[in-house]
Amino acid sequence: MNAFVWAATGLVVLILPLLAVAALRRPIDGLVALELGGVLLTLTLLCLAEGFHRSFEYAVAIMAGVLSTISGLVFARFLGRWL
Amino acid sequence: MAVTNVAVDVLLAVGVALEAACVAGVLIMPTTFDRLHYVGAATTVPAFCILAAVLCREHLSSGGIEAIAAVGLVFFLFPVLLTATARAIQKTERRGGS
Repeated sequence: MNAFVWAATGLVVLILPLLAVAALRRPIDGLVALELGGVLLTLTLLCLAEGFHRSFEYAVAIMAGVLSTISGLVFARFLGRWL
Repeated sequence: MAVTNVAVDVLLAVGVALEAACVAGVLIMPTTFDRLHYVGAATTVPAFCILAAVLCREHLSSGGIEAIAAVGLVFFLFPVLLTATARAIQKTERRGGS
């Protein structure tokens, strides 16, 4: 394992407490945790792409960044309107 | 080469440590607006530390440019998301929270 894979492992571990926040606290707090989880996921995929020397996986990181933003916007709209 | 390796290790360590601080902020802070500040912080310095570590290895190859695109998209799109989330928080708290 190189430094990038270790960093990706650390970032994945950091997502775990955010899952607990999303599950146990208010829905709006869960949304905040979900957004931070999206950032961590994007950076994790970036580290894994570099760590395993697979250049096509950078596109996965780009898509994760875009889709986590869009999903966060949808949830924010939903929570602001109906909850 | 050894200098590059040390730089990559330091940048990754700083990036992950700062992300850990942001997660701790989301866990500890008392109000939702305070937690939102830490989400915004996670897209700035720690993300750029990790991007810098990737660029130390990839330079401006296709992988490096795609890494710049990934971090750049997160950096420029998340303020929009955070503004929408702050509005949702405001509406939720005006109605008495849920």
